[in-house]
Amino acid sequence: MKFELKMPDLSTTGSPIKVVHWLVAIGDVVERGQAVLEVETDKATMEVEAINNGKLLEMIVAAGQEANAGEVLAIIGTEESSAPTALEAGRPLQTQLPKKYDRDFLLGLYERMVLIRQFEDRVKTLFLEGIMPGTIHQCQGQEATAVGVCAALKEDDFITSTFRSHGHALAKGLTVQEMLDELFGAMTGCCKGKGGSMHMGNIEKGMIPGIAIVAGGIPVAAGMALAFKMRKTRQVVACFFGDGGVAEGAFHEAVNMAALWSLPALFICENNLYGASTRIDQVMKNTTVSDRAASYGFRGETVDGNDLLTVYEAAQRAVEECRTDQGPVLLELLTYRRTGHSRRDPCHYQPKEERADWSNKDPIVRFAQALLADGDIDQTDLDAIRERIDREIEAAVEQAKTAPQPPLSDLLTDVYA
Amino acid sequence: MKRQAIAEALRDAIAEEMERDETVFCIGEDIAVPGGWGGAFTVTLGLEKRFPDRMINTPIAELGFFGIAVGAAMMGMRPIADVQYGDFLFLASDQIINNAAKMRYMSGGRCQVPLVMRAPVGATGRGSQHAQNMERYFTGVPGLKVVAVSNAYDAKGILKSAVRDDNPILIFEHKLLYGSKGARVESGAVDATSDIPENDYIVPLDQAEVRQSGSDVTILAWLLMLHVSLAAGQQLASENVDAEVIDVRSLSPIDYQTIGDSVKKTGRVVIIEEGPKTGGVSAEIAAGIQERFGRYLKAPVIRVASPDVPVPFSPILENAYRPNVTQIMQAARRLIDG
Repeated sequence: MKFELKMPDLSTTGSPIKVVHWLVAIGDVVERGQAVLEVETDKATMEVEAINNGKLLEMIVAAGQEANAGEVLAIIGTEESSAPTALEAGRPLQTQLPKKYDRDFLLGLYERMVLIRQFEDRVKTLFLEGIMPGTIHQCQGQEATAVGVCAALKEDDFITSTFRSHGHALAKGLTVQEMLDELFGAMTGCCKGKGGSMHMGNIEKGMIPGIAIVAGGIPVAAGMALAFKMRKTRQVVACFFGDGGVAEGAFHEAVNMAALWSLPALFICENNLYGASTRIDQVMKNTTVSDRAASYGFRGETVDGNDLLTVYEAAQRAVEECRTDQGPVLLELLTYRRTGHSRRDPCHYQPKEERADWSNKDPIVRFAQALLADGDIDQTDLDAIRERIDREIEAAVEQAKTAPQPPLSDLLTDVYA
Repeated sequence: MKRQAIAEALRDAIAEEMERDETVFCIGEDIAVPGGWGGAFTVTLGLEKRFPDRMINTPIAELGFFGIAVGAAMMGMRPIADVQYGDFLFLASDQIINNAAKMRYMSGGRCQVPLVMRAPVGATGRGSQHAQNMERYFTGVPGLKVVAVSNAYDAKGILKSAVRDDNPILIFEHKLLYGSKGARVESGAVDATSDIPENDYIVPLDQAEVRQSGSDVTILAWLLMLHVSLAAGQQLASENVDAEVIDVRSLSPIDYQTIGDSVKKTGRVVIIEEGPKTGGVSAEIAAGIQERFGRYLKAPVIRVASPDVPVPFSPILENAYRPNVTQIMQAARRLIDG
């Protein structure tokens, strides 16, 4: 397959963007995310990254020339699917598979993580091409937290999420189509086009809209858990938030009350080391988030958030405690955000070695390695999954591009009951 | 029929709604402590004995427990959350404005937040931070309904309507109108008691109410200022000025039907508001009248409000802060005399 690398929508004024110089030559093999050329906007000099793996086949805009957002800069050819495979990474096995899980369950988890990665990568491309409106906060590298936790929940359990909600939504069972439609602002989206990327959710599938005020969803989740407890439904809520949310008063007020009333809530801190561009050690004296639980009298635990089965098992323990009135639990999942905080963030504040180190701990690669080492599953199984997802996403993208936009009368509906 | 003050009427309304619907519960500070106060103004006094599992007494954490109320409401409960003093709504406002009010819209109509919020307001000898009239900060929030109750009959009927409504509703109550008793009695309290029927009744959330009919000038007010305006209306009558006094009551949405009928009749409007004049609810009402009924006006709308200062402590200054009968009468006469 060949992919067009287009000029990202970087200019705030809409003026043409100058290609300063190319960082690679024709024939070079580039990786998705690798800087390929440098461009100069009216504001700053920035790098443009490859959106797929492959060879640089054609260079269309030469250094010194200008191009408008959306114009094709180069053609990069690839036959590789963009999710990393176990073979690409070549890392030693870090996850031992317990024998107790059956093959379909494990492949299902793998599929869910690949779905999130492929979805996010495709959405990023659509944004950079200027096709998709709005802004995005993506979760590449954090797939194991969403999938591991949601796998421990029942269908009628709930989750709450944040502005970085795509992965959680896919893990909880929202469809690619309803999400892409939402991202395109279509009336067929999960929130009829009124929510967008930061408010992804579908209450019928156990996910309220993402709450985009940092930590704003934590008291709400506690309240959902209070409702479950008062109504004796035995449901639980898993509340996702980042390390940045832990400094907010809302976190402390909510976990205190949840502990006081033994609410069935899993407080899931995805500690990805950065709140926007600020590293956690600049804003916390004690960077072990799970330690906070003890001061409120409940259990906290920190685990490797890039190891899918470790996350799943920790979440299972926490769910079990919550269902037996021993909640809440604060689960800190150590992970890493491989993309910018939001679109157009080149992540210059993340040290190269740190990025490389976490890249080697990619949750999908690690899980794939474990699956392959187990003997029961081979590379063809994984490839088939990735190819199926590729096709599913492409079909959904095509449909979403022409999904019906809301009528203007929708502006005024859904304000009051 | 029994004579009740606002605090008692609200207490009965809450109890009757909790009796009727087991998803209704109360959440707030000091609301359910045996031997305690029943909230800052005795509204929930004793309810913890009748409903031990549904009177949730919280830590002092307004942001947290308003968020908890929002979450519970989204999962099918009908919480009644209160703050001890309206001023504390600022702490809870992220949950009220960003979550409760917007959830239906940003979910494309899939989610609802049937949440009742109660907040006491008004200058009452407590200095600047337990005194503000908070209505202005919430009337411009789409998705939220805002009401203000000025007597016991309305308080009971409006609370019941609010509990049965599927929207988030903020009810403002005035500290000097509660008729709180015992240790929580307020000095300078005003009689807002009503005859309360024995039967179940509701008062609609979106309607103003004409409290005194007249044809010369329309006086619009709510909460304590309604009572001050009624006193002014009576004195104006003795001077042969026939004032129509309307309890605006529903501050969002504003009932321009009732207000408009009056404006068409009198052509003169005075709006009375406790709280700084700049940016008040009275400014919104004045503009709304101008847009809708400008051609009926014989003179520009006049506002009588507090000066643009924080609420002072010294009783003599606090009295000067609050609009009074004399100012209202002067404004009405100015409109009539031209």
